[in-house]
Amino acid sequence: MSWFTFTWQNFLYSFLALAFEGLPFVLIGSLISGAIAVFVPSKIITSMLPKNGFLATLASGLLGLCFPVCECGIVPIVRRLINKGLPVSCGVTFMLASPIVNPIVAFSTFAAFRGQAPWLNMAVRLILGYLVAVSAGLVVRRLDPASILRTGAARIPTRKRLAFSVTPLPDAESIGIEASFQGKLIAAVRMACDDFIDTAIYFMIGAAVAATFNTAVDQQIILPLSLQPTLSTFAMMAMASILTLCSTSDAFIAATFVSFPIFARMAFMVFGPMFDLKLFFLYSVLFKKRFVIGLGIGLFLFIGLICSRVLIYLYAGQIL
Amino acid sequence: MRAKFCNLLNGITLIGLGAVLLDFFFTGRLDQYLHPQFRPWTLVGGIIFCVAGIIYSAAKTTAQCCVEGECVHQNANSLTRSLIAFSVLFVPLATGVALSKDSYDQHALINRGFVEDMTGLPGRTAPPASKTSTDQVIPPQALGADLDERASQPLPQDTNGAPPSQDVASNGGTDQANPAVPSPDEGSAQYLPKGADGNVALEVTDLLYAESEDSLRKMFSDKTIEVVGQYLPGSDPKEFKLVRMFIVCCAADARPLAVPVEVSAPTSVAEMGWVKVIGKATYPKKGDRVHVLFKADTVEPTDPPAEAMLY
Repeated sequence: MSWFTFTWQNFLYSFLALAFEGLPFVLIGSLISGAIAVFVPSKIITSMLPKNGFLATLASGLLGLCFPVCECGIVPIVRRLINKGLPVSCGVTFMLASPIVNPIVAFSTFAAFRGQAPWLNMAVRLILGYLVAVSAGLVVRRLDPASILRTGAARIPTRKRLAFSVTPLPDAESIGIEASFQGKLIAAVRMACDDFIDTAIYFMIGAAVAATFNTAVDQQIILPLSLQPTLSTFAMMAMASILTLCSTSDAFIAATFVSFPIFARMAFMVFGPMFDLKLFFLYSVLFKKRFVIGLGIGLFLFIGLICSRVLIYLYAGQIL
Repeated sequence: MRAKFCNLLNGITLIGLGAVLLDFFFTGRLDQYLHPQFRPWTLVGGIIFCVAGIIYSAAKTTAQCCVEGECVHQNANSLTRSLIAFSVLFVPLATGVALSKDSYDQHALINRGFVEDMTGLPGRTAPPASKTSTDQVIPPQALGADLDERASQPLPQDTNGAPPSQDVASNGGTDQANPAVPSPDEGSAQYLPKGADGNVALEVTDLLYAESEDSLRKMFSDKTIEVVGQYLPGSDPKEFKLVRMFIVCCAADARPLAVPVEVSAPTSVAEMGWVKVIGKATYPKKGDRVHVLFKADTVEPTDPPAEAMLY
């Protein structure tokens, strides 16, 4: 018996199941993203943050609860906000937390892990995502913005400037969108569709890889990998960075890797939305390459160690 | 001109996605792919895709949607992007409509490995080391395979933390703690669903759950049982596996549940064909626990059940 037995029948069946399950959630996330882009000015987001830099960093990690944005749409928003005076630490925290700590991801995680302690997994994912994002933000707070931000990508603030001087984004009318509600609605739908297309392409590629992995590969082969806690955790994070899934639907993929322990799948769901192949390129638009690489390595080690050394005890005794 | 063509192509891609989703939903093929709770989302998604696609292709293109240099959609009018979107999003789904057989073949099952112990399924907790028959109340619908095809929910298993209860064997087979619950022997007739032939009609899950439930084993003993599943031949011509797929969310996470079946003479059934097996469930001990072995009297091809998946 070969370790790899690919058949189109199995691939199509698994691939279509993933697509039917995940695409509606990607669409819903895109619609909300489009609505926020058109109807919610950035002033509302920044006005919710405290003036104290430390507290602002903590609060930035929760912004996604009010303004759910997936990782594909977050980079341009953060870049825009930093340009308008948002502290870089808050921007990084918001950028890393928002794709996880938001109601859409909470709901999709709960739905995907139906029958596998959904409340626990949803809570662990959100709390861990928040803690990791805030930790990264607090580290960034100690760094010189000039050493982080790419030259010309954003207006580099002075190191000590923590107060906000945020001005709202231009009104919809000033960027070519009709002022009427109907005009804004159409613009929101168009933006949502563009967001969806950008995101869904990566989702479908990820679903194809997952379908191949789940049907063609003899699970006995990878069983030793999945049995070793540390190895399985880092393997799942590496897989997350390759699959480049959307955070609104990656839980559905993670839930299918049933041969891997739940803490390894949790690492997949926390690391993936924060750093994957497409995000490496997206982050490079705003940040210097050296910082992006450092951020990736730091997140990889931090999340991996938490999941394989701490979560393993949280999930002890549960068959998930 | 190029922008208009890109708009049209992107709109067609979105409408095409919606059409595929709606087709699968209204033809019932979606039932083979998703858990019932997810199916309405496909309907909603299909409708929104179609509406959004029409709006997208019909609406005039704005000069820019975001501030210059900060736009999220800098490639919105790229022909390459539109062609990739069409190829990656629509073509595979349209291909699936035409080619998918809406089921796995035996290779996927073998690659995934068979679940022959229900405690290994997601969300199931291991039963306590020592269980007694009065730990649970068995609802009739839990075994109502013929009453409701979807009623394949496992029998109540999670009794962790429950106070110790009396052993049926030690009190003559009656439940003194709860008189409303008959003993396995006297109450089994009213609980066990019957098939058209008068046999006890069970699911594969019921037989597997009985491995860790003494009360169920007693209830099933000496009864003529019929079970429907897919036929997967074994290495010995007088043995095969009766398989049903158990899904949590969608077919991608499906896990094959298998009950080993022993027959007196080799059978000639197509691989992965649906069969009705009639016989008796036995539970021989292997090591420190019992495992089901179904001894079949007859094996006959049958139609797939309304819900091919177990949930």
